[in-house]
Amino acid sequence: MKPENPRHLGARIQRLEDPRLLSGRARYIDDIRPNNCLHLKFVRSQVAHAKLLEVDTSMVEDMFPGTIVFTGKDTGALSMKAHQDYPEMQYAEQPLLATDRVRFVGEPIAAVLAEDAYQAEDAAEMVFPDFDFLPVIATMEQAQDPALPPLFDGWKSNVWVERQMAGGDLAAARAGAAHVIRRTYRNQRQTGVPMEGRGVIAEYDQSMRVLTVWSSTQMPHLVRTYIAEELGLPESRIRVIAPDVGGGFGVKGQVFGEEVLLAWCAMKTGRPVKWIEDRRENLLASIHARDHLHTLEAYVSAEGRLLGLWADITVDVGAYSTYPFTAAGDPGMAAKVMPGPYDFQAYEATFRGLASNKCPLGTYRGVARPSAVFSQERLMDDIAREIGMDPIEFRLKNIIREFPYRNVLGFTYDPGSYEESLLRMRDLLQDDIAAAKASRTDPKTRIGVGVACFIEQTAHGTPDFTRRRVPIETGYVAARIEMMPDGEVLIDLGLQSHGQGMETTMAQVAADALGVTPDRVFVRHGDTSAPYSVGTWGSRGGPLGGGAVHVAATEIGTKLKLIAANLLQASPEHVELADNRAFLRDRPETGVDIGYVARSALRNIDRLPEGMSPGLAAEASVDGPKDGTYSNAVHAAVVEIDVPTGKMKIRRFVVVEDCGTIINPLVVDGQVRGGVVQGIGSALCEHFVYDEEGQPLTTSFADYLMPQAPEMPMIEVHHIETPTPLTPLGAKGLGEGGAIGPPAALANAVTNALDFEVRETPLTASAIWHMAQDAKGV
Amino acid sequence: MRPTEFAYHRAETIEHALALLAEHGEDGRPISGGQSLVPMMNLRLARPAHLVDVNHLDMARIEEDADTIRIGALVRHETYLTHPLIARHLPAMLEAVHWIGHPTIRRNGSIGGSLCHADPTAELAAMAVLHDARIVLASTGGRREVAAVDFLKGAYVTDVQPGELLVEVIFPKPTGPHVGTFDEVGERLGDFAIGSFGVRLEHDGTRVRRLATVCGGARMVPIRMTELEAGAAGQPLSALDPVAFGQKVTAMVSPSGDFRASAEYRRNLIGELASRTLQRARDQAMGMK
Repeated sequence: MKPENPRHLGARIQRLEDPRLLSGRARYIDDIRPNNCLHLKFVRSQVAHAKLLEVDTSMVEDMFPGTIVFTGKDTGALSMKAHQDYPEMQYAEQPLLATDRVRFVGEPIAAVLAEDAYQAEDAAEMVFPDFDFLPVIATMEQAQDPALPPLFDGWKSNVWVERQMAGGDLAAARAGAAHVIRRTYRNQRQTGVPMEGRGVIAEYDQSMRVLTVWSSTQMPHLVRTYIAEELGLPESRIRVIAPDVGGGFGVKGQVFGEEVLLAWCAMKTGRPVKWIEDRRENLLASIHARDHLHTLEAYVSAEGRLLGLWADITVDVGAYSTYPFTAAGDPGMAAKVMPGPYDFQAYEATFRGLASNKCPLGTYRGVARPSAVFSQERLMDDIAREIGMDPIEFRLKNIIREFPYRNVLGFTYDPGSYEESLLRMRDLLQDDIAAAKASRTDPKTRIGVGVACFIEQTAHGTPDFTRRRVPIETGYVAARIEMMPDGEVLIDLGLQSHGQGMETTMAQVAADALGVTPDRVFVRHGDTSAPYSVGTWGSRGGPLGGGAVHVAATEIGTKLKLIAANLLQASPEHVELADNRAFLRDRPETGVDIGYVARSALRNIDRLPEGMSPGLAAEASVDGPKDGTYSNAVHAAVVEIDVPTGKMKIRRFVVVEDCGTIINPLVVDGQVRGGVVQGIGSALCEHFVYDEEGQPLTTSFADYLMPQAPEMPMIEVHHIETPTPLTPLGAKGLGEGGAIGPPAALANAVTNALDFEVRETPLTASAIWHMAQDAKGV
Repeated sequence: MRPTEFAYHRAETIEHALALLAEHGEDGRPISGGQSLVPMMNLRLARPAHLVDVNHLDMARIEEDADTIRIGALVRHETYLTHPLIARHLPAMLEAVHWIGHPTIRRNGSIGGSLCHADPTAELAAMAVLHDARIVLASTGGRREVAAVDFLKGAYVTDVQPGELLVEVIFPKPTGPHVGTFDEVGERLGDFAIGSFGVRLEHDGTRVRRLATVCGGARMVPIRMTELEAGAAGQPLSALDPVAFGQKVTAMVSPSGDFRASAEYRRNLIGELASRTLQRARDQAMGMK
């Protein structure tokens, strides 16, 4: 729950890390330059599917003496293993370096290690793999074609997993329906594109037997555990450090084979080894995202009540299963969240993940939810159109109003502001709705308004992963806090802050409990020297990391009060900690500096109360609630379409969001806006394209189109605060939500503008023009 | 994404540059702003063994004589935005330059570099074709002039021979009253266009003296719609029908489609842009603005 009368929690303070980040003093992976370092360049497959017969490295030895080349023959059985323990799931590993087969363009075949990065790249061109080509699985249809051979020996088909989820009586819902509405929706494949690509440096200290790995990762502890298990090393002798990370967005929320391989290379060569991913590798071979196909069938009563939903969910997961969220992650998530914020009690879903000769799918901001919400919210509009209701009215008729709400799959939703946020949004859109109506007869310029209403399960706890039998296994976040003799505070946080502003928000949380100002709190993160945690992903930093900081800091704060009470000759309940002082609540002028109290605990311990041990450190961990905590939001897009050219301008983008207790509104605004920009990219332009041979066509920023500033509207963010009883601060997760709503909101706006149902993204000028051609009366 | 090894030569004079390019032949490439060449080198799509830096040569001027505007190869794109000679004589170019890339690209990119890169929908290549520009190529053997339409041979293919340097682009001045317009549609601002269209209209206040057009995105090089140009000559301005003109353009072009835009869309887009540019040109010529 939200703490009472906080001083710093909820304050709109500027980010403490920004002076460092904005003045070029951040330290990213490439800024780390160990002496005597070898530079690694990967030779990656240029073919989508082939038997790997031989890797000829003789030219490298001739032309670049001293250069080291490793191939799958050297790394052997070392591999990435990411198995979700579903009985239906087919199992496969990805070797660190391909051994006998390559399955996508970009798969690592060899590692070339040279004295500098240029020479490594030159030498890598002289490695010649010999292939025996195999049929390529390049489409969802091919992946489901029993005539085409499976990607892995011993597999029955090219389906990683196919499974059902169900709740309630769907047959009864279907029987009672006045309207049955069936639609198919499609989201394109894209990738995550952090501004800084991946990068790893590994160094092995032979005398101490300590392996240090620097990686641009969101999950240092998981990298440590995986390396230890795969290379058979004691985990106590591995340290993983994520320095400043220039964007992650979930892309860096997997353990990658490259991380394990670099560690192996450092041990093998006895020298530090460095790999900095280039942009082409990042687009080709980090992880991809989305690529969903959903068919939904809704059963609706004559009065416009949603009675039930049937869903068939297909996701092209690509060539391998990624660790720790696996090939079942995206399709399973889509099936799980499809019921959304609406009140109905009959649901059946089949979800399947298909194997193809494409880059493996991983987690990217929103993880399946942008696609699920796209389908869910497009369907809501299409139902409203078909039964002749206003889309917002139809949503209001079906929205969940009473909490806690047990949904059709048995998940319990904690309190939110679903109805209030929709009503607020309706008020905000009045003028735009009128403008859209007025443009209906204009053959040239059309205005459209679209909303997307959604919930987001955040801060998933261990029970959620146990239920899914997924290798992440657990979901807690831990922090260790220590107050120094001068009253300064150090937090070792088991998260990695790569844009979330945690050096500020965690300081705000600790400051309230310790009575210091946030500038006296140093938040150290992204390092396995912090207590074990699962890392920064799944919108858990604020609710769980903030919760752990709050619990640990409160423990220290309690001790500070006891010590101060002794110093001030008062009882502890009369002592207050604030503004870097401990003082008497009734007589604030009677007090001591917090540093004096801290020094009494650590140096002048003769000032401690009788029997009290010295020390001002505490550690806490907070796990996610059983069903997580549900943030909610409504996104709205107002678009203007130039019908003859298909060019679309976003006139307005509005967000009404509720992430429970807000730690820092500036950070929330930034998170929402950044997410919306990425969501707009998903909706309009980001598209990773393969041809029928599995060859990628979008391997640079000239072809893979990111959203850019000129196309961005002002993004208005409105907050509603419904604290959850399920986390220590009342906070819910909000890191991903911004990216979830835009594809649905924009597609609904286009649907509204053209009076034509949008079924797929991206909404390019060409696509919009074709829809306008097909629409009636445009 | 690192270039292959290359030698860097800083040319101090045009003669010096030509001598270096002659010496290195196929292995030598001039570099000015590097906005196209450097990414190509980083992707190892271009692998020049010798780069001849021409940035310090005396080729950065825009000059006029009685009949022409002569633009030095090193003139940067942003220069046109504020240059009085461009506004007066080449108004279509002034509009086109706004569509080139982003501020950094316009600041660094040069006309010589852009024309030699020869992207199919590059704005300056379209302007050279629209204005019947002549490209001046120099080598140790002397100078030659090539018409823009002959210079641009295909996507990323030009008439530049080993040892040659593009030194200047000569734009004929329009004679008498004239207007010029340009429009394009790209996926994002600053992207290479999906389709573009430019119009240059010389007139006497009531009649068309000469219509020139350029169309980007229909083929691998910018093309002229010569049949439509010929049909417009001598017509009253008021008889120009932008809608019919656009429909004719749509009927005449046959672009190919790709994952970004269908052929049908491109065809119609180019026609629409043709209609819009002609309408603006006609309205300006008739004093309607």
